Amino acid sequence: MTRKLISYLLLVPTFLIIGLFIYYPAVLTFQKSVYRVSPFGNRNIFVGLGNFKTLFTSQSYIQEMWTTLLFVAVTITVGLTISLLFSLLLNEKVPGIGIFRTIVFSPYAISPAIAGMLWSFLLNPVVGYVSYVLLNLFGIQSHWMTTYPAALIAVMVATVWQNLGFNIIFFLSGLQGIPKSYYEAATIDGAGAIKKFFKITLPLLSPITFYLAIMNITFTMFTVFGVIDIMTQGGPGNKTTTLIYRLYRDGFIYFRTGMASAESVILIVIMAIVTFVYFRFVQRKVHYR
Amino acid sequence: MWRKVLLVGMVMTLAASLLVAAPVTIRFWHAMNGPLGQMVQKLVNEFNQTHPNIVVKADYAGSYSETLSKTIAAVKGGNPPDIVQIYDIGTQMMIDSGIIIPLQKFIDEDKTFDVNTLIPQARGYYTANGKLYSLPFNSSNPVIYYNKTLFKKAGLDPNNPPTTWSQFKEACKMLTIKNSKGNTVQYGFTSGVIGWFFEQYMAVQNALMFNNENGRVSRATKAIFDDPAGLRIFNFWNDLIQSGVMINAGPGWDNANGIFASQKAAMLLDSTSDVGMMLKQGKEGHFEVGVMALPHPNGVPYGGVIIGGASLWMINTHNTQREQAAWEFIKWLESPKQQVQWSKGTGYFPINKNALTRIMHEGFYAEHPQYLTTVFQLLMSNVTPATRGGIAGPFPQIRATVEKALSKMFNHEMTPSQALKWAQDQANQELQEYNSLYQ
Amino acid sequence: MTKRTKRTLRVVVVEIALIVMSIAILLPILLAITMSFKTSGEVFSYPPKIFPHTFYFQNYIKVFQNINMGRFLLNSFIMASIIMVGKTFFGVLGGYAFANFKFKGSRILFGILFLTLFMPAELLMVVPLFSLMRSFHWINTFWALTIPFLASATSTFLMRQHFMTIPKDLEDAARIDGAGPMKFLFQILVPISKSMIGAVAVINFVYAWNLYLWPLIATNSNSMKTVQIGLKMLMSNQSTNDWGVIMAGTLIALAPALLLFFFVQKLFVRGIASTGLKE
Repeated sequence: MTRKLISYLLLVPTFLIIGLFIYYPAVLTFQKSVYRVSPFGNRNIFVGLGNFKTLFTSQSYIQEMWTTLLFVAVTITVGLTISLLFSLLLNEKVPGIGIFRTIVFSPYAISPAIAGMLWSFLLNPVVGYVSYVLLNLFGIQSHWMTTYPAALIAVMVATVWQNLGFNIIFFLSGLQGIPKSYYEAATIDGAGAIKKFFKITLPLLSPITFYLAIMNITFTMFTVFGVIDIMTQGGPGNKTTTLIYRLYRDGFIYFRTGMASAESVILIVIMAIVTFVYFRFVQRKVHYR
Repeated sequence: MWRKVLLVGMVMTLAASLLVAAPVTIRFWHAMNGPLGQMVQKLVNEFNQTHPNIVVKADYAGSYSETLSKTIAAVKGGNPPDIVQIYDIGTQMMIDSGIIIPLQKFIDEDKTFDVNTLIPQARGYYTANGKLYSLPFNSSNPVIYYNKTLFKKAGLDPNNPPTTWSQFKEACKMLTIKNSKGNTVQYGFTSGVIGWFFEQYMAVQNALMFNNENGRVSRATKAIFDDPAGLRIFNFWNDLIQSGVMINAGPGWDNANGIFASQKAAMLLDSTSDVGMMLKQGKEGHFEVGVMALPHPNGVPYGGVIIGGASLWMINTHNTQREQAAWEFIKWLESPKQQVQWSKGTGYFPINKNALTRIMHEGFYAEHPQYLTTVFQLLMSNVTPATRGGIAGPFPQIRATVEKALSKMFNHEMTPSQALKWAQDQANQELQEYNSLYQ
Repeated sequence: MTKRTKRTLRVVVVEIALIVMSIAILLPILLAITMSFKTSGEVFSYPPKIFPHTFYFQNYIKVFQNINMGRFLLNSFIMASIIMVGKTFFGVLGGYAFANFKFKGSRILFGILFLTLFMPAELLMVVPLFSLMRSFHWINTFWALTIPFLASATSTFLMRQHFMTIPKDLEDAARIDGAGPMKFLFQILVPISKSMIGAVAVINFVYAWNLYLWPLIATNSNSMKTVQIGLKMLMSNQSTNDWGVIMAGTLIALAPALLLFFFVQKLFVRGIASTGLKE
């Protein structure tokens, strides 16, 4: 068997599955995006690019794009930084490290809806622990879920919290790949901890960071609707509505299949551009082998 | 060889006889979780035991909107259930779905079922164009729960709760307590930002949400809630929030409930379906819970409240046997005995008159006056186009739009009249988009 | 300072930092734990109490009484295990192909695969997938719950990223020793990538364990429902909740994934993975 043939065979299962279960629905979505569809699909009106026009001329949709951008940028930057710092700590050989790692991982294992629920409890405007502490220690009356920007911050905190486990697990396994000899050599050269971090750890973690950044984009773009739905329902107004939450509402609460499809198409196109740019300009900086 | 033939023959006869005697199996999707879900299963088990020729398979299908999603997916995949429980605001969508049989058909055919035993307020909601489309299953309406213990502490008469908006606001003020630093430690009133309450307050003022008699005589084409009645509601709530006697609990029901249960707010706008749990919370939290009907604005003629909750729809399976079985089951659920059981077990009120009288004669309402208020308020409501409630295709969006408008107003982004106008404009767009599908 | 005291001091500092961090992260979960032992009246006592008055263990029993939790756990476990194995295995194969082979169209194929990361798959596939599964007669079976998730860009991409960090000399050396590409993969590459494969497996398990929308749509009977649907069944749509029971259910649902993680994280021991590999 030639190597070429083997390489194709290795990819067959993956492509079968994504072809049938992701690309096929995606094609249907593209098709539906030019229709106005009744909830049960029994009526369809061809509207051409009408759905797209509606979206791009809608003030709220544009606002939601900015919200999404802000949301993604902040949660990724903050999330990855905290995760990396925590991972360095969790990479130490100290007693009970397994327990600590499991604790830090635990938020990720909770489903987004439940995570949203727990945060709602903590942030309840009157009886939540956070509100209670703020009121009694600092005399601050907090309205986390009903005012802006508090609501957006609350959702961001919950999202960063949820993704910690995911990031840390990969940073940790990435840290395993850095040979000890590198650090030893650096020590002999008289490099301090900070220099070692920037000269050795960070560059050698770059392939995994590259991966994590992309995964975090997809997370914060696509899976936060569960958290948002429980915590703020996109409010106040639509200040915490991100593109995916709007898509979720249009598709599954309002049953506007055509509009939801158009929104999916827009999301896919945006992401395709982001990916292209990212690969073009960022991957070069990634340090392999 | 012959033995084989004989064996095959026997197996086939057996199979055939099984097929003939096999009971009809129907599928019932519902959205009842928590203790309610257990109650539904109990009822279904009972039905299956008493009806050997029918097997009902009940299945929890998620929240109300998830149940609708699941039904839509199943319809598109060609595998829908026989009966599905759909929330009130899905009524127009179901009528337009092209997949249902209006229950009026069975009511007309079945002489053993007297539709007049169902209370008119309940029938009114699910009737459009003169046809009863679905039958109510879990029915509720909004009430205000109040903390009698805090009422007493504030010097208010716990047995004489406010009935008008001005009295209500007065009570809110008296029930609000600030500490020495000026922070509020107890609020008069709390509520989630829930569009349903707006619709209810419209009905209380006998005002319409939509044209064409709330979409009852023909499809609603215009939202008309930007009127003095609507503005009155927006102004009233805004006033309560801005004057600091009400705390905005945010989206959903849970936060407001927690605040009331912690006795940090003395009054809570909520659904009657919560009455049982509310009383339990009061007992465990050592305070007495009262239930009051929605106060109404002074000087405005009283309409009433709208029935909320969900109803049972029959899907057209083109199989008369299954449809008949489904009708048997729906009819059974609507009958007095089951309604008594359901109502006492859940807090949803019975929609069958005979069930109501039965519960009354048992002395249940005398022992639990809080339950009485929940039913009383609805029975006292006039049956008008306003109190029958609006129906419109994009009702879920419209409800959400009203919620958005309210929170924009609470956050000073818009004045009450701006917010209301904005909501109505949005609603009209939604209506136009939806209706264009059915022209 | 001797080397030993220096080492001890370091351990102490790290431990303190770890404890502070853990508490901060654990706060919402601690809330769930204490609530799971409270009666419904106590949940909303004010001022909020951290510890329950009496440990009301009844909530945990109620979880199993109110819903068929045992069955739901089993279903979720079967579903998540199959998805975990499939996704991880196909991810290793695909990642290996993209990282270690040069073949025609590899860039385009990778692009096609990669783009799926950016499709809101969870939402966009539900309705079409139902029709597809229905035509296969897979509704309400484990086929419907697992097959669509058996491969993904996530795992493939991650394994590619990882394999690309492993020195090429290793493969050349193996080839000289006469090992074919598959032998190299399973006898050399996989064993030295244990920690990464473990991490991918855990992530895949958790992903599948937390699936909600699709299992809800694709199953029609209690015997096929999963834990996440079960949790939803403990709550109420519109009426007041028994929070103690819900939290108890949440913690039960959380346990398997945490247990799995606890065992997998043992693979993350500094140095082991890379010993003797580089330079």
